Amino acid sequence: MKGVSLAWRLGALIVGSIVLVVAALMATQAPVGEVVQRLLLDSFSGPTSFSETLKRFCPYVIAGVAVFWALRAGLFNIGVEGQFLIGGMVGIAVSLPIGGFGGILLGALAGSVAGMLWAIPAGWIKAYRGGHEVISTIMLNQIAILLTSHLVAGPLMDKNAGFPTTASLAPTSMLGGIPFGPVTVSWAILIAMVVVGVFSWWLRRTVSGFELSVTGANPTAAQFAGIEVKRTVFQAMAWSGAVAGFGGALQAVAFEGRFFEGFSSGYGFDALGVAILAGGNPLAILPSAFAFAVLGQGATAVQLNGVPKGISSVILALLIAVFAAFRYAKVRPIHD
Amino acid sequence: MIESAFLMNLLVFASILGLAALGGMFSERSGVINIALEGKMLMAACVTGWIGGTSGSALIGVTAGVVAAIALSLAHYLLTQVYSIEHIVAGMAINVFAYGATNFIALTFIKPGTSNHFLPISVYLGLALLASLVSTFVFARTRAGLRLLAVGESPEKSRVTGLDPLRVRLQALIVTGVLCGLSGALIVTNSGAFSDNMTSGRGFIALAALILGGWRPVRATLACLAFAAFEAGQIQLQGTKLFGYETPAALWNAMPYVITLVALAGFVGRAKAPAGLGKA
Repeated sequence: MKGVSLAWRLGALIVGSIVLVVAALMATQAPVGEVVQRLLLDSFSGPTSFSETLKRFCPYVIAGVAVFWALRAGLFNIGVEGQFLIGGMVGIAVSLPIGGFGGILLGALAGSVAGMLWAIPAGWIKAYRGGHEVISTIMLNQIAILLTSHLVAGPLMDKNAGFPTTASLAPTSMLGGIPFGPVTVSWAILIAMVVVGVFSWWLRRTVSGFELSVTGANPTAAQFAGIEVKRTVFQAMAWSGAVAGFGGALQAVAFEGRFFEGFSSGYGFDALGVAILAGGNPLAILPSAFAFAVLGQGATAVQLNGVPKGISSVILALLIAVFAAFRYAKVRPIHD
Repeated sequence: MIESAFLMNLLVFASILGLAALGGMFSERSGVINIALEGKMLMAACVTGWIGGTSGSALIGVTAGVVAAIALSLAHYLLTQVYSIEHIVAGMAINVFAYGATNFIALTFIKPGTSNHFLPISVYLGLALLASLVSTFVFARTRAGLRLLAVGESPEKSRVTGLDPLRVRLQALIVTGVLCGLSGALIVTNSGAFSDNMTSGRGFIALAALILGGWRPVRATLACLAFAAFEAGQIQLQGTKLFGYETPAALWNAMPYVITLVALAGFVGRAKAPAGLGKA
């Protein structure tokens, strides 16, 4: 690969990705043009599709903020998936017996705390014991998946349901929205946007936000500048977990109304892609999350053409690779 | 009777984890962080089932599965070494890709009701044992093994001494592909047919075993045996009383992860990562 210029390398990656997807679509014998159109535009084809897209958009935004937060401190929070699950489960478990607006509020609060608690071991191990956060969060994810699926098939299961799920919140105990014609935009969407706005403001305009960025960019320099690096790292992981847990709880009280096996369709994992795609700008999480949501909805729709759902993961993976290639090409030149 | 079933499961699970963990070892000790073991195994499991079924030959099936895992490993090399993508991001991308691609392949190409063709399990058990012995020997006694360790500890210094880190990592990742391929092939062979996400986190358990074993072949193999014992023994273990409560299967399933967390916190041994892990 020596001597091959960066532009060519990136170009080859993009062309290769497109060829791979088109070849895969052709293998299904579906009409490629129609499938591509549906993949990209199904979200805008009607009120139901658009509502479904918003339902994906919300967790992508909040989980995206969670990943972004940790990433700014130089941490890969792979554990967002687990924190999101724990937050969703605890959120429902708290809001179900209380009900009403109080239930929503306390559920969201409890979900955030639970997500934070689920991230704290990883933050502590990273900051004070020197263990890699990726490994600890992968372990915590697996434990979260086992724990939530055990609880939702046992103690928390709705005995009347034939499959692992909790009971559902009454519609009046769920977070409502603002109707725009046939589409109801949940308050959760607005909340997600506020979360992004507040996070962006905090990161850019406050001392602690600045300390976080400095710690992530150069821990040694941060240490010399008098920043408590270990505490900053620990707190970044804890807050990242809290945001992820809040996202799970919000998803539960605003969209799902219950917790069930498969509550997260990999939102936490995809959120890494959302954050990478957003680059260095926290506000860019919004368009990035929207792109992921549109694609996710499109992939569900192309199943009508006989194209398996897995195509969305394939495309997301290629997107992550392409955008990461651009992002890291600037930061780290290849050794020749 | 129960004992012999337990023993067989133990050997199969230990081989699945052992092959993958050794695969991870080649990659990580050469400096490439590998959270993509899971994806490579899943891909191999899918392709082994698919090609084995359509070709009617078990050997062709396994070969195709291993080749598929090598292909993902080559993609891993491209992303981390040529495109300099952060290793964690690259690994995630490969896992997501493998998850989607196997779902796609299974629904598009695998015809339901095709008869399956698999190599006997004993072949894999033998290969796993062989891989463990050969890896131990390679790292301890051979020039190639020492070069790999040198590149993993310090890519900069090894470059000064005339080694080519990119080349060494390429070779290491190909070995990773072969071992993960065999591991995935064993998973599908043991269950009889491919199903979505059938690796169900075993790639991560293998990674945990690797770390718990301090990135050393013998210790990692022992960790795999211990983790396999939890998985094989959960049928016997679940329902046993602990402090007066019946223990659910999930608890025993979670044990490897919990132990690894405790180990990471430095309470069980001190796992020291290769110094050059993730560096260019």
